[in-house]
Amino acid sequence: MFDFLKQYYPVFLEGTAQTILISIIGIFIGILLGLVFVMFRLSKHKALSYIARVYIAIVRGTPAMIQVMLIYYTLSNVLAVPQIQFLGSGLDRVIPGSIALGINSGAYTAEIFRSGIISIPKGQTEAGISLGLSEKTTMFSIILPQAVRNILPALGNEFISLVKESSVLFYIGVQEVTAQALGVGGTLYNFVPPLIVAAAIYFVLTFVLSQLMQLMEKKMGRKYAQSN
Amino acid sequence: MTEENIIEVKNLKKAYADNVVLEDISFTVKKSEKVVLIGPSGGGKSTLLRCLNRLEGDYSGKVVFEGEELNSASKDKLRILRQRMGMVFQQFNLFPNKTVLENITFAPVKLKVDTPQKAIEHAHSLLEQVGLSEKADAYPQSLSGGQQQRVAIARALAMNPEVMLFDEPTSALDPEVVGEVLGVMEKLAADGMTMIIVTHEMSFAQNVADKVLFMDKGRIADSGNPKYIFEETKNTRTQSFLSKVM
Repeated sequence: MFDFLKQYYPVFLEGTAQTILISIIGIFIGILLGLVFVMFRLSKHKALSYIARVYIAIVRGTPAMIQVMLIYYTLSNVLAVPQIQFLGSGLDRVIPGSIALGINSGAYTAEIFRSGIISIPKGQTEAGISLGLSEKTTMFSIILPQAVRNILPALGNEFISLVKESSVLFYIGVQEVTAQALGVGGTLYNFVPPLIVAAAIYFVLTFVLSQLMQLMEKKMGRKYAQSN
Repeated sequence: MTEENIIEVKNLKKAYADNVVLEDISFTVKKSEKVVLIGPSGGGKSTLLRCLNRLEGDYSGKVVFEGEELNSASKDKLRILRQRMGMVFQQFNLFPNKTVLENITFAPVKLKVDTPQKAIEHAHSLLEQVGLSEKADAYPQSLSGGQQQRVAIARALAMNPEVMLFDEPTSALDPEVVGEVLGVMEKLAADGMTMIIVTHEMSFAQNVADKVLFMDKGRIADSGNPKYIFEETKNTRTQSFLSKVM
């Protein structure tokens, strides 16, 4: 059933590498946007908070596939990305595609950050402020490190979703693992085995990712452990 | 304003919509003076204390600290003023992800009050002062409430403040450890620290205070030295409050 792998495994490897690449860029942009928009969302300035609410509402309320296409077609008119082929796809598709993934993820990540920040007692902020620290230092050095520890499980979920949802970039012609599986399926006139292979690859990727997140949870949790 | 007054509060008033929580508050604090705020819960003691370093804003009237009016101070100025006012909270508010030593050294190092090396030396001497030398590397969670509060006091002292504000520092503690925290505070008082203390510990107030403010319904209902408040006052509200708590 999986004999085709002998011939096509380089295609799957390339697709896997592409999926990993777009996921990493997406996660990175998502974290950055999440941080920026959670600060907007919690800002005392009404306008900033409003901008964040609108961004989150639109991203959460529309399909990722349409977002990706809209961003791709818009960006490809504005951004002049050279037509360089990388891992089987043009960078002019990979870059807007990963940015779209990041913009999508950023909205969810912002909300996850917000849940973490509001879970930290107000007394922590007051303690920082009363020592003469600025609000910014208090937020970044005292509140966020504690918040991040509390939200690691939710953040892990978001990263895993992103890896799986990166398959929507297939629609804008990024040769990630789903696209490659469909391509192989088309050649074989049989889609089931290559799709099973693709599913298995996603499973391995997300499994490794969840293990990494657990490792981080343990590492950060150790800090609170009893010690003398 | 006289030289000696570190803090001057004048006609302070604070309200949430129609609910007036502080009204017509005026008093001064001199260097090395110990001012204790007592009174029934909801009387405005903690709110008043929190106005002194502007953790609570939106008030009218004046709070002047070392000649600077807090309400009109810029953000940067306010930060510098807060560095000179230590605060100790009912719930300790230690940073749970930092060790005892890191809790104490964090602000002085971040604000460049001390070099890291000096901050550590200072922290160790403060820990000795509060009797917790052996807990430097422990995390707050592993300490008892009384120990945590003593670390919180050391943390506030690490900034070399002019004034220490205490917001019901023993109210969240088990009765058997209240004494160790009050002991540290008494030592601090004896060393000449200027202190403003909200507390329900009446015998402590009697022993340590130079001035006692009895607060009720958002106002200073009665004030004077401990002898006056605890023995001589004719104020019926003070008398009835004291008869309930002593």
